[in-house]
Amino acid sequence: MSSLKELQDLIQEKYDLSPEKLAADASMRATGLDSLSIAEFVFAVEDHFGIQLPDDDPNIDTLGELAALVDRMRAEKTT
Amino acid sequence: MGVVAPHGDSLTLLFDALMQGRSAIHPVFRELPKPAAAATVAFDALRWFTKLQLAGVDRVSQLAVAAAELAMQDAGAIGTVEPERIGIFAGCGMGGAAALEAAYRSGNIQAGGSGRVPPLTIPAFMPNAPASHIAMRQGVQGPVLTYSVACASSSLAIAEAAKAVQRGDVDLAIAGGSEALIVPGVVMAWQAMQTLASFAPGEAADAVRPFAADRSGFALGEGAAFVVLESAERAEARGAKRYATLAGWGSSSDATHLTKPDSPGQARALRQALKIADLAPRDVGYCNAHGTATRVGDPVEAAALAEVWGTDLGTLKVSSTKALHGHLLGAAGALEAVITVMSLYRQQLPPNAHCSTVDSACALNLILERGHGAPDIQTAISNSFAFGGTNSVLLFKR
Repeated sequence: MSSLKELQDLIQEKYDLSPEKLAADASMRATGLDSLSIAEFVFAVEDHFGIQLPDDDPNIDTLGELAALVDRMRAEKTT
Repeated sequence: MGVVAPHGDSLTLLFDALMQGRSAIHPVFRELPKPAAAATVAFDALRWFTKLQLAGVDRVSQLAVAAAELAMQDAGAIGTVEPERIGIFAGCGMGGAAALEAAYRSGNIQAGGSGRVPPLTIPAFMPNAPASHIAMRQGVQGPVLTYSVACASSSLAIAEAAKAVQRGDVDLAIAGGSEALIVPGVVMAWQAMQTLASFAPGEAADAVRPFAADRSGFALGEGAAFVVLESAERAEARGAKRYATLAGWGSSSDATHLTKPDSPGQARALRQALKIADLAPRDVGYCNAHGTATRVGDPVEAAALAEVWGTDLGTLKVSSTKALHGHLLGAAGALEAVITVMSLYRQQLPPNAHCSTVDSACALNLILERGHGAPDIQTAISNSFAFGGTNSVLLFKR
C-alpha cells in the first residue's frame, strides 16, 4: 500500500503541482514550497488520511519520503 | 491609482458606475436569522497568484496585492525606484476575517468542526499581512507600515505616506488599504452593533441613504485601493501620469466617546487640512463625505462642515458614495480618496444616491442628481471618521 498517488493528487489539487512538475524524488523545497506551504500541505494530508504526522521533520523533503512516512503511520494506525 | 472594488478593478468603470448611481450592494448570507446586504468583490485570485502562492494568504491580502499592483502599473512606477527608497503605508481595520472565521469553525468540535485549526491561520489574519504581501510582490525594502484606525485607517495611511515623501524618508510611497470581512460572524457582529441599514426584500441595493430623512445605516463593503505618491519634482522628472496633488491632510481625536462621533473633533481635522493646503473653506468645491447613513453620524458630520464652512457652506457640494459601494471600513478612506481624485480628474461629481428627502438636520449642498458636471472644480476633500474617535481628512488639488 503506497500513499504516493493520493499525495500526488492532493498536491496537484492544492498547489497545482502535477507529477511532471514535482517528481516523487524531487525536493519539495527546491520546487518552490517553503515552510509555510509545506505546513499547510501536511495539515491537508493529516486531514485526508486521519493521521497525525510529526512536526516539521527536516528529513522529509520529497513526496516519496512523505509517502513512506504516511504509509508507516497508516500501518501503525491499523495495527 | 489601483482599485479592487465592488464595482470592479477599472478606475474608469468604477467612476462611471458611481456617476450613473449604480449600487453594488446586494443580499448576502441568506441563511442568517436577520437579512444582510453587502457590497462584495468579484475577484479571481488565480489571476494574481498561483495556487502555491495562495498558501496562508487571506482574501484581505489578495485584494491588497492586486490593487497595489494595479496602482504601480497605472503610475508606471515599477522598477523606477531603488527598493529601499519605496515605502508601503497600508490601512486595515480587521485583518484576515475569513481565516479567523474558518479557524473558529474548524476548531469548535461542538459546532461540527474537526477540532483542528489550519496552521497558517495566524499569518493569514494578522492585520499587517496585506502590507507585507505587497512588499514581497513589489520588492519593497523601505518602511512597510500598517495603520489600524478603524474607518480612518487607509485615509491616515495616505496622509502618513505623504509626510514620509515630504520628509524625504522615501522617494515613492504605495499608500492605501484593504478590508475583506464579509463573513457570517462579522456581519452578525455589525448587525448586533445596530449600525447596518435595514431593507425590505428586493430593495437591498437602495438600502443605504446618506443624509436622508429615512436613513437607517450602512452596508458593509470589501475591497482594496492604493495610490502611488511621490514628490511633484520627481513625478515631473520621470514624466509620470499625474491625477492630482495631495495638498493637505488633517487628523484629530475626539477624545469623547469610543463610537459616538463628535463635530468639534471632526472640525479640527477639517481645519488642519485647509491650513496645511493654505486654503480657505470656500476654495474647496467638493466633499466626499464620510456619510455612513447612520442616524447619529450624518448630522454630526453636517454640523462639522457647517462649523468650518460657516456662511460658505452652500458653496461646498457634498456626496457620500457609500450608498453605492458600501462601507469598506479600513479600506474606505483609500477608495473614497481615489473617487475624490477621479472627481477632480474627470471634473464630474458622483451623486449622493438614494436620498429622496434630505434630513433637515443635514442641511448640506448635496449632489442629488446623477451625472453632475463640475467644469470649474479645482479642489476636493475626503472625510474619514473612525470608531475610536480618530478623524482624518485628505485635501486634493487638480
